[in-house]
Amino acid sequence: MRRTRWFAQLALLVLAGASRAGAQDRPAVVIDPGQARSYGVAVQRFADDSASAGARRADAFREQIVRGLEYSSVFRSIDAKAFLGPATTVSLDEGESVVCSDWSSIGADALVEGTLRTDPSQLVVEFRAWDTTRCTKLLRKRYTQPVQADIAPLARRIADDIVAAFIGVRGVSATEIAFVSTRSGHPEISVMNADGSNARAATANRSINTFPNWSPSGESILYTSYRFANRPLLFVSTRGRGKPGRVLSRLGDRSGVYRGVFAPTGPKLAVVMSESEAAEIFSVSLDGKDLKRLTNNRVIDVSPTWSPDASRIAFVSDRSGSPQIYLMNADGSDQRRLTFQGSYNSDPAWSPDGRWIAYQARLEGQFDIWLIDPTGSTNVPLVSHPRSDEAPTWAPNGRKLAFSSTRRGSADIYVIDLSGDNLLRLTENAGNNTNPSWGPFPR
Amino acid sequence: MPQGVIAVELVSLPSPAPASAPKAARPAPPPPPEPKQVVLPKETAPPKPEPRLEPKPVTPPKPKAEPPAEPAAERDYSDVLSELRSEVGDEPPPPAPAQTASIGTPTGNPVSPEFLAWERRARIHIRQNWVVPPSFRDEPLRTSIVVELDAGGAILGEPRIVKRSGNPWYDDGVVRSIQKASPLPPPPEPGEWSFVFVADEGT
Repeated sequence: MRRTRWFAQLALLVLAGASRAGAQDRPAVVIDPGQARSYGVAVQRFADDSASAGARRADAFREQIVRGLEYSSVFRSIDAKAFLGPATTVSLDEGESVVCSDWSSIGADALVEGTLRTDPSQLVVEFRAWDTTRCTKLLRKRYTQPVQADIAPLARRIADDIVAAFIGVRGVSATEIAFVSTRSGHPEISVMNADGSNARAATANRSINTFPNWSPSGESILYTSYRFANRPLLFVSTRGRGKPGRVLSRLGDRSGVYRGVFAPTGPKLAVVMSESEAAEIFSVSLDGKDLKRLTNNRVIDVSPTWSPDASRIAFVSDRSGSPQIYLMNADGSDQRRLTFQGSYNSDPAWSPDGRWIAYQARLEGQFDIWLIDPTGSTNVPLVSHPRSDEAPTWAPNGRKLAFSSTRRGSADIYVIDLSGDNLLRLTENAGNNTNPSWGPFPR
Repeated sequence: MPQGVIAVELVSLPSPAPASAPKAARPAPPPPPEPKQVVLPKETAPPKPEPRLEPKPVTPPKPKAEPPAEPAAERDYSDVLSELRSEVGDEPPPPAPAQTASIGTPTGNPVSPEFLAWERRARIHIRQNWVVPPSFRDEPLRTSIVVELDAGGAILGEPRIVKRSGNPWYDDGVVRSIQKASPLPPPPEPGEWSFVFVADEGT
């Protein structure tokens, strides 16, 4: 009897062991990506305590968050009409339960809920983002700003935070792009949100203004203007801090300064000036000190772009007989050619992660946008079209680029994912929109 | 929060000055087209500044209604097709070698036809539930997980990451996808099964 029981137990153990054959005994199933590229997100209308602001403020806030999330290409918003859970946030109090299955069952991988509170002079915004599949809170954060301030930038910032919580790379919907627009009849510097909304003029001097370039802090834009004596000089436009006006006024007295580009790491510029009838690249502090000539020859050296650590500069030179991209150290040493394909490569832009240099390559008479790595071993097209695509600039997260294109006839600014997906036209006014410069993350 | 306003400078200036347009860099073969920004009365001609390289068509091109889709946006219907096949019970085409590199177990046992059939169904099912944002698709990311499946294919307990990719957000997405995919198609036998999620379409 006892023996029988012992055998039975042994048999059970053996069977249990067999049924729990370890994963190491079986081949692994290899999964590669399918078509799904974006997460479904349900954005609730934030609970708003202000009766006077009413539903309008909460609706506008939700709309901006949705736009910011969709701009990232990481999320697609689910229509609030499809919600099984509440369309408006009930409360963010701990203990307040979210029924994750209400959201996952409608295809929402993420849920965003929040509150808007008016605290006499401050608007206090608090929000939470959920991973509904695992039913975990990914992010909870609070922002405050003056009550009268525009809510749109704050809502987009929240959208960008949520993108970071899901993929580890911050969204760029709260950033801005400066560009040159001839809308008024003159090339003036304009600024717009990264999705093309809220375009407005930053200069109105009816001269020629070009080559906008953001300071690393985002407080000012450097640009070239011909407003004085028809000579190209550098100016800054600011958000209020700092003084707008001419910079490096001692430089370029003879022939002018054609272009200035902020170093990513400090108050240093790479500038293009004329020496002996040839354009050359210099580095100089913003206060005009430490001027150093980096290129020195009888050909044209222009269009500098800094590596993210400011240790190197890519630029355009026609020293080989045609415009090509070159690299050099920030002190001018070790100059060498990077592009060898085609007879006209220009407008380099170094990516924020340092891995790529985007540039315009002329092929069959028009320009396309290409990417080359700084070793020159990989060189691939990003945007090609029978019309010209030009002047690439990187989003600060390195996942999107803006450029100008004549594909509609006049030039417009477009934006595209680094993957080549989600082409979006940002400008729609008359006139030509060129020379985009993507600003940094807001502080 | 910074206000989204850039100070507008109003600079008093001499009447619209004669200006010189930037010209293209010197010896570029075919002749560089006219710069697009500027119409210039002749007079003081400042030296050549930055080359502006925008060719301008002589006749204004027909405006296009919408920018055409970029080439990279083309869809790959292969997984949709195989999904339909599996739904109608059609015999799917032989598996792509890259996806079944694991023929035979690590211990050298042969793989059953049952396993191959299940593997195909499981892969299709998981792929539909795995969101891979563009930023991950060109990266050499690999995450290995082990899950315990019951006879019906439901995941028991938490998926276990046995090899991380180095990108925690990618790993999170992998775990999210396998949980979303539960229940999987019923496995050949209940127990622990391992999956390797490979982001880079080229590997």
